[in-house]
Amino acid sequence: MFTKKQPWQKRDTGLTARMIVSFAVLTVLYIIFLSVLAYVGVSAIAIAVIAGIMILAQWYFSDKIVLWSTGAKIVSREQFPELHDLVERIVARNNLSKPRIAVINTRTPNSFATGKTPKSSIVAVTTGLMDELDAEELEGVIAHELAHIKNRDVLVLTLASIFSVMAWYLMRFGMYGAMFGGGGGGGYGRRGNEGGAAMLLILLIAVITWIASFLIIRAISRYREYVADRDGALITGKPSKLASALLKISGTMKRIPTRDLREIEGMNAFFIIPAVSGSSFTNLFSTHPPVAQRVKKLMEMEAAMS
Amino acid sequence: MFSLSSAYVTLEVKMGLKVTGRCALTFKTVSGTFFYEMEQDIRQFLGNLQPEFDLTWRTTTDSYGYMWIVFEGKRIEDLLAGLTTVSDIVEERGFSDKLLAAVFEFSSDREEGRKTRQQYLIYNYKRNKFYPFVPTGQKTIDAEQQMKIMAAVAEEIPFERDMTLWYPLWDLPLRSLG
Repeated sequence: MFTKKQPWQKRDTGLTARMIVSFAVLTVLYIIFLSVLAYVGVSAIAIAVIAGIMILAQWYFSDKIVLWSTGAKIVSREQFPELHDLVERIVARNNLSKPRIAVINTRTPNSFATGKTPKSSIVAVTTGLMDELDAEELEGVIAHELAHIKNRDVLVLTLASIFSVMAWYLMRFGMYGAMFGGGGGGGYGRRGNEGGAAMLLILLIAVITWIASFLIIRAISRYREYVADRDGALITGKPSKLASALLKISGTMKRIPTRDLREIEGMNAFFIIPAVSGSSFTNLFSTHPPVAQRVKKLMEMEAAMS
Repeated sequence: MFSLSSAYVTLEVKMGLKVTGRCALTFKTVSGTFFYEMEQDIRQFLGNLQPEFDLTWRTTTDSYGYMWIVFEGKRIEDLLAGLTTVSDIVEERGFSDKLLAAVFEFSSDREEGRKTRQQYLIYNYKRNKFYPFVPTGQKTIDAEQQMKIMAAVAEEIPFERDMTLWYPLWDLPLRSLG
């Protein structure tokens, strides 16, 4: 009973997964759309313009897409007075503009920020987050989200995705040029088996490019997380509160046992299994390696501040 | 375990945790001649502590059947030497699998809106690693403070980074002098 997989090890994935899937589907859709445009012979400049418009549209509607894909609802002060008070306190102390506040009705503790400009941004928290964290920890999490807004991370990530789409586009264009021998706009007349194979290859390369750019975006966003942790902790002045919130959200806190060492000791096998499946094992397969790393950085900050 | 002789300074500087001068070692008692002889060895050592070590000691047995040897002294070097000598005797007599833990007591001089209370480092002999133990009441711990202790000293002493192995030792007999 001490070594079984705990339920909270898989609890943090739902919300993030839904967002990633939504945006992945959108991206794949417009990559396919652009491929079709290219295939039917629309000019490169027109495709660039259309791609630009689509990315702008995605950025413009990003908050709506996020709200829709996560099921978050904007809540008024009347509905959640304490939450509004808490956000207003942080905002007032740090001269930030107050975001709109949304709540997601789920037991999974989580939160996110979105929005094009600091003024029009949204901070969303789940009901599970409010239940599980105490006031100071919730403050830490919201400060982290406000730091995302202040740092314009939505814009940063949108720009990153523009570059990734551009990279894909250049690659595809290069391919197209190579395959059709630089003949301008001759797409129509050459359909057939060759065209079909070319289309398949183009799609394959598009997918590979997309995966690569997805990884790059993830790296950027991981870095932005660290920055938001740091800035959020500076906003509240209490890095350890955000750290303990992260530990609670990830379920790590619950893994600290309450059974006495002397009770456990009686079970001889116990100490053999963890000795093997101890830290190296969890490091390899842990579902949330970054949480430990983020907590470590926050605790170093705490140690430096005290 | 001797790495603690320098790491305690870090705890004091970074966390405001002071060594109280109390520490203890605990092992499971069993019946039999060999165990009895080991116990005699330990008592003989304890009886001749002074003047080499500036330590006082007492023993107690808890409800789990674990024997506790509690040391009190001013110098951390003496405390560590006392503990190590006892654990060496236990190991020499072939009872190393009965050794459970050593416990070091600290007290906080930072109020931070809560009462001053005892905080501990537990040394697990099976894992040869330290981990924090900050009880706040009946079967409750201050996980955040335990995390802070880890952040402060994990680089300096062999530290148990797997929090699922931070097993508490409730009702430590370090202070029940009555």
